[in-house]
Amino acid sequence: MEIRAVVDIAFQELTINIRNKWTTLFAVVFGVLIVSMAYVGMQVEGFGGMQSFSRTSASMLNLVLYIVPLVALTMGTLSFTGDKGSMELLFSQPLVRGEVLVGKWLGLFFSIALSTLGGFSIAGGLIAATVGTAGLVQYLLFVILSLLLGMVFLTIAVLVATLNRRQAKSFGFALFLWFFFVLFYDLLALGAAAMLRGEQANTLLFVSLFGNPVDMVRIATLILLDSTEMFGASGAALVRFLGGELGSILLLVCSLIAWIVIPLGISIRILRPQDI
Amino acid sequence: MIRVEKLTKKFGKVNAVAGVTFSVKEGEAFAFLGPNGSGKTTTMKTIVGLNVPSDGSVMVGGLDVRRFPRETRRLISYLPQRVIFPERQTAREVLHFYAGIRKAPRQRADEVMEEFRFSQIAERPVGEFSGGMIQRLGLAVASLADAPVLLLDEPTANLDPHGVKRFREFVLRQKERGKTILFSTHLLPEAEQLADRVGIFVGGELVSEESVDHLRLAFQASRTIEDMYLRYVGSGENE
Repeated sequence: MEIRAVVDIAFQELTINIRNKWTTLFAVVFGVLIVSMAYVGMQVEGFGGMQSFSRTSASMLNLVLYIVPLVALTMGTLSFTGDKGSMELLFSQPLVRGEVLVGKWLGLFFSIALSTLGGFSIAGGLIAATVGTAGLVQYLLFVILSLLLGMVFLTIAVLVATLNRRQAKSFGFALFLWFFFVLFYDLLALGAAAMLRGEQANTLLFVSLFGNPVDMVRIATLILLDSTEMFGASGAALVRFLGGELGSILLLVCSLIAWIVIPLGISIRILRPQDI
Repeated sequence: MIRVEKLTKKFGKVNAVAGVTFSVKEGEAFAFLGPNGSGKTTTMKTIVGLNVPSDGSVMVGGLDVRRFPRETRRLISYLPQRVIFPERQTAREVLHFYAGIRKAPRQRADEVMEEFRFSQIAERPVGEFSGGMIQRLGLAVASLADAPVLLLDEPTANLDPHGVKRFREFVLRQKERGKTILFSTHLLPEAEQLADRVGIFVGGELVSEESVDHLRLAFQASRTIEDMYLRYVGSGENE
């Protein structure tokens, strides 16, 4: 793989996406929501001003778990199933297909990362200026987890688009996956666990965690924020089973990385013998 | 320079190209003629490696395009039938990007920009360009690398008469420089003017390969080039 070609393609993809009004709109909406959450959270509890970093991270968790996968899936499928004429010209260059795929994937990731970081930075700046820097490290780790979540769903989008080059179909399937991972998966896992007994149910819940990147980021963030009590006995069991909080987070991050590497590898293999 | 042997390309159960064999010598200009959906584009896309052959082989510069995709594509500059560029990129950015991909110096991109008359509009986004300007930008991209083989799929489809004239001058210049040129067209006089040989596609098969000189002889014998084309196409469509 020629790194120079990958970087050139990534930079082009980044430039195109930065100029896309939807990327800008996402950055603005995301930023406004984060700042609002940081501010409104304290108002609700009868206090004025901004929340601390830790409280803001906890408030933002669900927002990130809903929005970041949706944006990554949308941008990924639309970009990879884009204009045939531009794809044909690009793939007819002296490149191997993996270089094009990885380059576009990286460029898209950086554009999602930039718009996400924009929101996080504005909120972070305001919190640091008004409340202080307590909990900043947890906030930064939460930002990294959010970016990792975006990368996972972008890779899933690439896989979907590679499996089906038609834009409408790919986009529809990507939306189905968003519903599945964000809304249905937990219900399915809990429903299945309800049909089992004690130890088996716990094992199923534990294993099912690694089948959903959204849950992995949720739990890793809650561990980071010392909020394991929020996910009850199974959460405590998980932390104990994995040998403490650090071990748990490391395992979850490694699993998220596997969710990136494996679909990306499959996408490259699928694309290699495909007609463009 | 290009050698296609028993090339077959199926899309599902449809035979888009069926057992096509031909070759194009170095420095030769070869034109594909044929109705829409006759296999011209599929054959071109297979030569440049965009389509994977169902059967048969394609060699460019003595190399198998499937085994040596990067090396063979380095020998080819391809202009797709309907070229599209990102709307928000400027002509300069497009040319610099492809110059980087083809490992051509930036100076080459500026030369091409001048040659194809983009210098004055280099900072305008491609989204503001007309169809003809986009096609011209496509040709500019195709000439960046100075590759020995030019594959041009209906290059004059979106051009106005001025653009067509300039394109023909461009191809004649490339011929003089010894480039191997394979292009498809619906304009028979274009094929007659630019090509050394023509191949007529009907229903996914190459039904005839004629030298343009032979066509001219046929032309002199009071049969027009259109008549000859329609004879092949008509017979193929009846089958």
